[in-house]
Amino acid sequence: MTLNICHLYPDLMDTYGDRGNILTIQYRCKQRDIKTVYTPLTVGDKLLSDYDLFFFGGGQDKAQEIVGKDLASKSIRLIESVENGAALLSICGGYQLLQKYFKTSDNLKIPGIGLFNAYTKASETRMMNNLLIEINPKLLPDIKNSYQSTTNYEPSTHKLIGFENHSGKTYLEEGTIPLGTVISGGGNNGEDKLEGAVYKNAFGCYLHGSLLPKNPHFADFLITKALEKKYGKVELQPLDDSIEWRAHNSSIKIIRSQG
Amino acid sequence: MDLQLTAAILTGKLFSIILKLKGSGATAAPGLYALKIDKNLVKKISSKNTLKSIVISGTNGKTTTSRIVFDIISKKYKVIHNRQGSNLLRGIASTMVANSSPFGHLDYEFAIWESDEAALLPISQSINIDTLVLLNLFRDQLDRYGEIDTTRKKWQEVVKNLKPQASLILNSDDPSVNYLAKFAKCNKTFFGVETTKIDLPSIENVADVKFCPNCDSKLIYQNLYSAHLGTYKCSKCSFIRKRPHISINTITFNNDYSSNIKVSVDNTTTSINYQLPGLFNAYNVLAALTTAVSIGINPKSASADISKFSAAFGRYQNIKLDDKNVLLFLIKNPAGANEVIRTIAINQKINLLVILNDNIADGRDVSWIWDTNWEALRSKTLNITIAGTRAWDMALRLKYAGFKIDTNNVNDDLNSSIDNALIKLSRDDTLFVLPTYTALLGLQAYFKSRGEGTWQNQ
Repeated sequence: MTLNICHLYPDLMDTYGDRGNILTIQYRCKQRDIKTVYTPLTVGDKLLSDYDLFFFGGGQDKAQEIVGKDLASKSIRLIESVENGAALLSICGGYQLLQKYFKTSDNLKIPGIGLFNAYTKASETRMMNNLLIEINPKLLPDIKNSYQSTTNYEPSTHKLIGFENHSGKTYLEEGTIPLGTVISGGGNNGEDKLEGAVYKNAFGCYLHGSLLPKNPHFADFLITKALEKKYGKVELQPLDDSIEWRAHNSSIKIIRSQG
Repeated sequence: MDLQLTAAILTGKLFSIILKLKGSGATAAPGLYALKIDKNLVKKISSKNTLKSIVISGTNGKTTTSRIVFDIISKKYKVIHNRQGSNLLRGIASTMVANSSPFGHLDYEFAIWESDEAALLPISQSINIDTLVLLNLFRDQLDRYGEIDTTRKKWQEVVKNLKPQASLILNSDDPSVNYLAKFAKCNKTFFGVETTKIDLPSIENVADVKFCPNCDSKLIYQNLYSAHLGTYKCSKCSFIRKRPHISINTITFNNDYSSNIKVSVDNTTTSINYQLPGLFNAYNVLAALTTAVSIGINPKSASADISKFSAAFGRYQNIKLDDKNVLLFLIKNPAGANEVIRTIAINQKINLLVILNDNIADGRDVSWIWDTNWEALRSKTLNITIAGTRAWDMALRLKYAGFKIDTNNVNDDLNSSIDNALIKLSRDDTLFVLPTYTALLGLQAYFKSRGEGTWQNQ
């Protein structure tokens, strides 16, 4: 099997350690003899081929502005891919650019590509916290089915842990499925206890950290979704994730001890 | 007489006596309390005295650079310096209070103030700056400082408000720092690296600056030395790296972690040998030399002092423990950590201890370890031990970098981890220890307990 990964604007949206997500996907595929092809796409590049998995990370404000202008040229193809079942993970700035619009502090609406039926408003307060969420129960059966580990203890596959750092507040429009509910931290907007958004196999969230290394259940879930688009039902070989889960659990413990 | 000021100074002095008796290293506390009594203390003392103030800031290297400048200048002049640590306004207040008369008189000719990059703006509003040295701007603790542009805009304000007689010393090779020149009304001196021969393993790097600070177009690099330091120009507007007045033309890194640079000052070359490794220290030495020259010190005499300099605590430090060596390299952000990795990657057999903490002074967010190129050490590392509050995050990072991780060597406890790491070493072996800031403080306590506390008062 081959997994075609497209990394959107890795040269510009690279400020928050999100690169670990790509490393994780590549590593976990390699362990299972799944070939990965990695394609970085940046400003001016055309989105042509069919990719199985897109990744779109966070960057500095200025980079996000530049990317926002270019993204329009890739939007039709990107939306088409997601409609056809491609997996997509977007974080922070990437997540915001895939929404309907971003409203600046001067009430200016900067249009996004509208993959997620949501919008973000600039705010004065910055949410900088360890972020722990309970995954949307709608996604849990799928995650459970796609994840197995040789680790001795029962992994808690219903949570995601990461670190958020954003001042934009995201609001989901009626009917948009959140990725989960906030246990600790701000999440989408610090108000409605929701975090992230889901559309088909596309996911948006504020979880840096990097997210996928210490949430291996979610990493395997994304890989499975991406492969199933091409190969039908896929069952990933279990890996030894003891370090992954210890990082996951110790991060949760840190949240509890820091209060 | 200003009673409020005198009360503040005396309170601060009293606090520092009490803290000294208690053996505490809390260097900011006397200043903090003195400022509570008189919030204008620094401003008042600054305006009462005629001493010249040199302020040094930057993401990486400000501690080392300030210390080198002190070592040079204090040979000729009476100098005060916030050497004991805190580089916020309260740290400056502490140093002033400790050295001033009860009425705020300072019997010194120069002050060297190391300044936290975010604290530079408030500090500049209290201190009458004569020389401002700006080293670099890298992404660092995004949860504390925010993005680079945020800090650069604060620095712009500082530079705009420098008096016309002041002197501004800037790193040519950092676009954000180089750009600040246009806001200054005063005299500017640039330093930079003019050689492309940097004999260190090259590693994949993350550049924190890619766009012209003037017009947001892409920057074009001719040479890239480290992160976003190099020679560059804007692809659209006229923004370009300034030709440095004082430049490094040759760098040699020796196996014993000493180095040699040949620096050109006014068309004369000065050769400097010094006991520090790595490209980042070459920049620190260059910045310090430029500062010394700007106040009229002869480069030859400055270079003699530089050659005797030994590193600030934890910024490359060699400690002998029984028959083993420990080499300490502070890590705190991707740019700095990548340079540390490059510096130690010249070794073929590495015993490594990485200590990752996520206390407030380290930054709560440890995502940055994923933007740091640990892969460069993989094939050279014999033993790896991992400690700190975020030991498991670090273990995971190294696992995905291809290291074989034995979970018995991952432990949040610092002391047992060092013991564990040292046991694996043979006689005369070296343990490379890479701690974050608060881990370094933990190490200080550890070495003190082993009778190696000599540098606590550096």
